[in-house]
Amino acid sequence: MEIGLLAVGAGLAIGLAALATGYAQARIGSAGIGALAEKPELTGRVILLLAIPETLVILGFAVAAMIILLLGG
Amino acid sequence: MLVPMTKVHVIGHRRRLHPTLEALHLLSAVQLIDVTDDSSITLPPLTADDEQVQEIEELRYLRARLDALLALSSDPPPADTAPVDLALIRSDLETTAPEIESLARSLEERQLEISTLPRHVQSLKRLLPLVPELTELESYDTDAVILDARHASVLGDLSVALDEVLEGNFEIISDQVDTDTVGAVIVTPKKSASEVLAILGRQQVNRVRLPHEYESVPFRKAITLMERRLADLPVEMATIEDKITAVMRSRGAWVTARSDVTQRLGQLSAIRHLGATPQTFVLSGWVPAPRLEEVRRVVASVGQGEVIVELAPIGDDEEPPILLQNREAVRPFEALVSLLSMPRYGSLDPTTLTMVFLPLFFGMMLGDIAYGILLLALALYLRHRFRVTSPSAAEFLKILVLGAGWTIVWGVLYGEFLGDLGRRWFGLEPIWINREEAIEPLLIFALAVGIAHITLGLVLGIWTAAHRHDRKKLSTSVGTLLALIGLFGITGVAVGQLPDGWMTPAVATIVVGTVLMIALEGPMGLITGPLELLGLVGNVLSYLRIAAIGIASVYLARVANELGSLGPLWFGIIVAALFHALNLALGVFSPSVQALRLHYVEFFGKFYEGGGTAFVPFGSLDRKE
Repeated sequence: MEIGLLAVGAGLAIGLAALATGYAQARIGSAGIGALAEKPELTGRVILLLAIPETLVILGFAVAAMIILLLGG
Repeated sequence: MLVPMTKVHVIGHRRRLHPTLEALHLLSAVQLIDVTDDSSITLPPLTADDEQVQEIEELRYLRARLDALLALSSDPPPADTAPVDLALIRSDLETTAPEIESLARSLEERQLEISTLPRHVQSLKRLLPLVPELTELESYDTDAVILDARHASVLGDLSVALDEVLEGNFEIISDQVDTDTVGAVIVTPKKSASEVLAILGRQQVNRVRLPHEYESVPFRKAITLMERRLADLPVEMATIEDKITAVMRSRGAWVTARSDVTQRLGQLSAIRHLGATPQTFVLSGWVPAPRLEEVRRVVASVGQGEVIVELAPIGDDEEPPILLQNREAVRPFEALVSLLSMPRYGSLDPTTLTMVFLPLFFGMMLGDIAYGILLLALALYLRHRFRVTSPSAAEFLKILVLGAGWTIVWGVLYGEFLGDLGRRWFGLEPIWINREEAIEPLLIFALAVGIAHITLGLVLGIWTAAHRHDRKKLSTSVGTLLALIGLFGITGVAVGQLPDGWMTPAVATIVVGTVLMIALEGPMGLITGPLELLGLVGNVLSYLRIAAIGIASVYLARVANELGSLGPLWFGIIVAALFHALNLALGVFSPSVQALRLHYVEFFGKFYEGGGTAFVPFGSLDRKE
């Protein structure tokens, strides 16, 4: 039972973080492509902006890994 | 490495202006500075005289003419090597151009025909079942109408209107030709043609308009004629194209002339950037330091003692342009660095560091012997293929070759060959860790890589700040480095790797670091300092993606192998191959983007100063073809 709850918790930690990243990237991505259509030289800057919210899901991954490794083990 | 730039003033007598410009244009080593932007020159800009203005106009016209004519041939002739006389080219153009243009026009007409005739044939064929035999009579006109099915009621109104004028001497036959369209054929006496046309116009019905030569021909015959024409057209077009090519073949001089004209226009365009007195001109520009001597030598030889090259001081508000120069192995990475933005003059060129770390991180994430070998083979094959057609693409593939190499190395360390297949089949054992089981060491390793990489970035940041005497940046960078060391200490104590007594010094280091981060920022520092500290933690944790993506890739490979072992052997091989292909595709894309991001955001963020402009020497844009 407890292991099951830990697994659900870990899943939620990374899943919700991934949703948040997806939401942020969707908005940045659409704005970024709009900007690229006018100024292709901004490619690098757009990739950079697009990559920033990925930290969220990595943090989610860190929390999930901690739940499983520290509490589950 | 950023090539150091020198600023020069080329000063000389005006009668030496053109030879000097010509020589510098050919040399492509000077980026012009507009004289109005150069505060060290107070001269008015040189304006082109009437003769030059006229020359520019004539050359522009000539170039436009040559461009248009050369574009007509699908197979332009090779350039002549002999020098050309523009006057001769002009007279040749006068005599030959009309012939080529008329050929091109008739080719264009036929292209139009070949694209429109099939449409007419198609619509006539659809209407054909509606056409009664009687309409083949010469004394009757047949108008075809195609209507949107929703507007079919117009036909009723049309019938009433026609009846009023023609008193029943007409016929409308209509039918659904497909789900959305209704076709109608209106047969009227030829003598009432103008009245019928007026009624059709009033009812706003569009007739199917046929090209002029088919208008008065009965439908069936028109279709036959059009089909015959369509069969003849390609032959006619090929003949015309052959004629154009034959005329063009002996016109290699045109290509040479176009290149000469472009060069001359390039030289003349420089005039408005120069400064002048009644007798002298001054050209201000940037020259890469290693090419300065070359510029001096060339100017001395064309200037005949009347033109000198003088070093000029670089003003505080002036930013020299950026020319990156790296060894051949490093060069492909220049594109990745400038994708973000060109480095600022006087800052560090991170290209070499990118070459060291980017493929390394890529390999750490993908880490599989088989995937590495596949990628290496693919990259080498593509490089071989693109070597001639697209040298820049071949250059870029060197990055993939390096990445594939590191993938194999890390594959050996992780003991992975198509995921766990190597272990299952030939007992491949990891030299270092098995990523499937040893997740914890992998995570700690990723964090350690992050700390090392960021520390390097911070040290470079400190170096840059010290070099530039930027106290604020120096204090922030040193503060961040101290905070990072402190965080490392606290984590070490927390996981029991360092003695408890280290806690107090670690906390103290963080406090000192944070104070340094805040110190020179003023009141805003109270907010930005702690935020920077938080950002630093985020930066380090961000390197966890090296572990995360690696684990995802291992498990996907494992899923492929598990699924492959389910059904019969042939089925298993297909399924496993599909999944591995998918994993490899993801495995190339994802680690590249992530490795790039770790560089752009986490690493470059600590020291990189972008915003430079690329060095574009005078003459480089219109080089001789």
